[in-house]
Amino acid sequence: MVNLGYAHTSNDFLIAALLIYSLAVIAFAGDYAFGRPKRAAALAKTAAVGAKALVTVGAADGTGISDSTDTSDTADSAGTSDSAAAGDAPAAAPRPQQPVGAFKAMWEAGPWVRSAVALSALGALAHLVAVITRGLAVDRAPWGNMYEFITALTCVAAIFFGYIVVRYRAWALGVFVMGAVVLALGLAETIIYTPAGPLVPALQSYWLSIHVTAMTLATGIFFVAAVLGIMYLVAERYRKRIAAGKAKPGNGLIDRIPSAAQLDKLTYRTVVFGFPVWTFGVIAGAIWADQAWGRYWGWDPVETWAFITWVIYAAYLHARATAGWRGARAHYIQLLGFASLITNMLVVQVFITGMHSYAGVN
Amino acid sequence: MFKAKRRTVVTVTAAAAVLLGGALAATLLTSGSSTASATNMVEYQAGQRPLAPNLTGKSLTGTSLNLSSYRGKVVVLNFWGSWCSPCRDEAALFAGLSQQDAPKGVVFLGDDVGDTPANALAFTSSQRITYPSFNDPGYAVVAQISQVVPVHDTPTTVVIDKTGHVVGTIIGAATYSELTTLLRDAAVTQ
Amino acid sequence: MTDVHAPQSQPESAAAEDEAARSFALDQTGTAEGGSGTTSPPPAANAGWLRWGWRQLTSMRTALVLLFLLALGSIPGSVLPQQGSDAGAVQQYYASHPSLAPLLNHLGLFNVFAAPWFAAIYLLLFASLVGCVVPRTFRLVGAARTPPPRAPRNLARLPHSSTYSSALPPDAAVAGAAAILGGQRFRLRRSESDAKDHWVSAEKGYLREVGNLLFHLSLLGVLLSIAAGGLFGYKADKLLVQGQSFSDTVSALDEFHPGRLVSGDDLAPFSVTLNNFTANYIDSGESRGQPSNFDASVSYTSSPGAKPGTYHIRINDPLSVDSLKVYLIGHGYAPEFKVTGADGKVAYEEATPFIPANTGTFESDGVVKVPDASLGFMGVFEPTAFSANGTLTSIFPAADAPAVSLIGYYGNLGMNDGVPQSVYQLDTSGMTKLSGSPHLLTPGQTWQLPNGKGSITFVGVKQWVSLAITYDPGQVPALVCGILALAGLLLSFFVRRRRVFVRAVPAASGAGSVVTVGGLTRSDASGGFEEEFAELAAEIASAEPGNNSELPGA
Repeated sequence: MVNLGYAHTSNDFLIAALLIYSLAVIAFAGDYAFGRPKRAAALAKTAAVGAKALVTVGAADGTGISDSTDTSDTADSAGTSDSAAAGDAPAAAPRPQQPVGAFKAMWEAGPWVRSAVALSALGALAHLVAVITRGLAVDRAPWGNMYEFITALTCVAAIFFGYIVVRYRAWALGVFVMGAVVLALGLAETIIYTPAGPLVPALQSYWLSIHVTAMTLATGIFFVAAVLGIMYLVAERYRKRIAAGKAKPGNGLIDRIPSAAQLDKLTYRTVVFGFPVWTFGVIAGAIWADQAWGRYWGWDPVETWAFITWVIYAAYLHARATAGWRGARAHYIQLLGFASLITNMLVVQVFITGMHSYAGVN
Repeated sequence: MFKAKRRTVVTVTAAAAVLLGGALAATLLTSGSSTASATNMVEYQAGQRPLAPNLTGKSLTGTSLNLSSYRGKVVVLNFWGSWCSPCRDEAALFAGLSQQDAPKGVVFLGDDVGDTPANALAFTSSQRITYPSFNDPGYAVVAQISQVVPVHDTPTTVVIDKTGHVVGTIIGAATYSELTTLLRDAAVTQ
Repeated sequence: MTDVHAPQSQPESAAAEDEAARSFALDQTGTAEGGSGTTSPPPAANAGWLRWGWRQLTSMRTALVLLFLLALGSIPGSVLPQQGSDAGAVQQYYASHPSLAPLLNHLGLFNVFAAPWFAAIYLLLFASLVGCVVPRTFRLVGAARTPPPRAPRNLARLPHSSTYSSALPPDAAVAGAAAILGGQRFRLRRSESDAKDHWVSAEKGYLREVGNLLFHLSLLGVLLSIAAGGLFGYKADKLLVQGQSFSDTVSALDEFHPGRLVSGDDLAPFSVTLNNFTANYIDSGESRGQPSNFDASVSYTSSPGAKPGTYHIRINDPLSVDSLKVYLIGHGYAPEFKVTGADGKVAYEEATPFIPANTGTFESDGVVKVPDASLGFMGVFEPTAFSANGTLTSIFPAADAPAVSLIGYYGNLGMNDGVPQSVYQLDTSGMTKLSGSPHLLTPGQTWQLPNGKGSITFVGVKQWVSLAITYDPGQVPALVCGILALAGLLLSFFVRRRRVFVRAVPAASGAGSVVTVGGLTRSDASGGFEEEFAELAAEIASAEPGNNSELPGA
């Protein structure tokens, strides 16, 4: 039996999360418009005094993702020419400052960043409560149909993004990632909404917790990678235009996002994180398919598209090790992989009849 | 130098094995599976006839049937169902032959599969089949005899000689010439 | 993936020791450059052609192209109806696209995953895979047997380095560092004991390449397991009405798809009886009509005469008999009819499976064929019948208020000419309709047919289940290979191949030494070497007495 009280609570918390996320996006945007110029100006002042503070571990930076392994990779990713990008860490910095803790750095980044990160965290909390109460309402893992799947994966994306913000100081990406989360949640709430209800017998299995959880996690991670990939393409195009003299580095919006090289590396690391999870999800799905349908692989449309997605992400990983295919080309491949994933989720599961049509969407 | 050459040989061999083996398996797996043999009659020579298991069950009218009780006679065992079109096609042949060959020591038996007794009796009545049939809705008798000779289709006809050994099987609707061939050869026992 | 002729990466000469460090880091990209299939023009001689072709096949670019083709080629397999999974839908496609369908069939698009061109793609991909994996295995074995290179002269130029002073003489300082590194399971190489400079070279992380190779080889294993299952396994379907049983023999099965090397004689002699089938539906609330539970209660024997067992087959809970599995795939209703002919005798009495046309309400279609009374009926069964505006529908999937609507025919059903017919279809071409409008029956009611042709009684309702019986010897190997592939993947992503060097020179002041620790790593997918290096350097430094504050490099 569905616990209607929890179901309503879940809906309420989800709407609250949506609103809070929207405010966070506004705050991230505000940081772009107002916060950065302030920080850049302050940095310029201190640089003029001759300080050693350039971007390395822990500096409250204004431009890029502070990646603790940044400098080591300039040796081993010899192909990427990131020296032209503004704000990059020089290979041999002078005596660095004391490392600054992540939260202190966030605090020092200004009021916009503080509120944006705080709102995102609050929103993610509300989001998590929404997912959990949905699970309590239906007495099972809350990813049994498309609506639940999207709310769960966006929750994963939001929390994973939170991890990136702390680990890599990547609050500059907030507008884009959280903006995408807001869009996805909005879609879920309006078009795809399904009331809380029990599962059809085919889904009544502990494999739901394993297979769909893995796919949810992987999709959330690939979601973030896709947003980063789009940002990379924008940054890379801008860098090329600067190099060709068609644009000047300056105060443009694009100038304020991390450099193409940093985005490239971050995207790669994200995909590396998500790919094994996706692989595990496919294997778990095959085991469940064998339990339920008598065969572990039958080229059902959803299975086929999960395979296609896997192959495309594998192509991305190969492309990154192939001359002439790194850089923008590889990112196109990665975005193609995510497009295939979305096609699987929103088109194939809903419109193409097969054994795997559990979306709950009519 | 030689080490590199040997490595190349190993690598190329391995890759070629994958290609060729894969192509072979692919053709094996995907070419249309034709399990039916060219002829639809299978006959066993006199010294190589398998011994039929003792088939037991209830008839359509509820009496007990037992294959071994017909030892000493040639048995024509026909697997049929009222729902089966080719069975209707051959029914007249069986009805006629069963009457004709009864004095010659040939017994006709049926095994009615996948049917209810009511449907089966309507069939035997309308086709004028007077010999008894096993009531075998669950294919249990078929499973028993399949251990010895394959019975994979309906209809199938199995001819058993006087010693209880299988002379041959006819797959699909039986023809007069096929049946008489097997009956004639059934008379040749070791 | 690398070219067979990739350069060796372990130069021995002292003059190239700095190169060793740099080439280690570049190795990943360097050899990738070499093996990327830069389109060199094909040479003239035949052997040269083969070699050029081989290099193309095993290049990364070819692998990329093949991966794309594999993904692209799978798309029609998901969009068009496929022969293997839904032959009926393929027929419908032919009907709705009469000119396009034969062309698509010719291209193999109705059976994509068995098509020769699809096989060609993945076979080439695996050949390319093997052509890369085997040389890399040789190289890994070679690298594992070769000691790490000498420590470069100037460690401060490495991406990570750290220098500190030690009170110990150089050889003791280096020995201490070596002990720590050895304790962390690095492979070590020490400077010659009589040499003037003291260093130790440490290397770790071979598991990365092991994982990479394991992953790729496991994929090959998965392919082989699938092939084995396809050759030696089989699938079968059987529809059983409540109360019916069947023995696992080919003629009993509704569908039998043996692997290429399987014949009907290989079927295990088990039998199953369907004692009861229950389907529960949610009867109130927003999910009304949604199924909540299916349960097929069966008894079975694994061989004739064996002790019977019982089991409840549910959708995620198949029955295992020996090495076979029996699954509950579908279900439906089988209304029971009794038909008497013109002579008044019973010509038909059976629970007739009807096929659901609407999976929500379970309105089902079926056919009753009574050739021995020359009668045929087409029927629509409504589990919970409801009549609105003259049309009959079902409003709930459970059989709460069953009714069946029949159209009767009299004449030749076409069953006597020996051509097999589907039991679910009635050929009315040789028949005349018995009445204009359909006749409605509820359980217990009888329809006396016009012109004294007989009668049909709707006796009651039973349910049927469809079971799938599968045997797949490749299943467990495929799973094992899949898990190994995942393990290999994790290893190759999260283990990094890294080298750490320690050099000690006598201190300018005469006592003690200045120790430099340097480290570098190959492209580090998951990040984290900086922390590891910092910890190592700190541990080495702190283990030695009298060290001063470090100057962490870069």
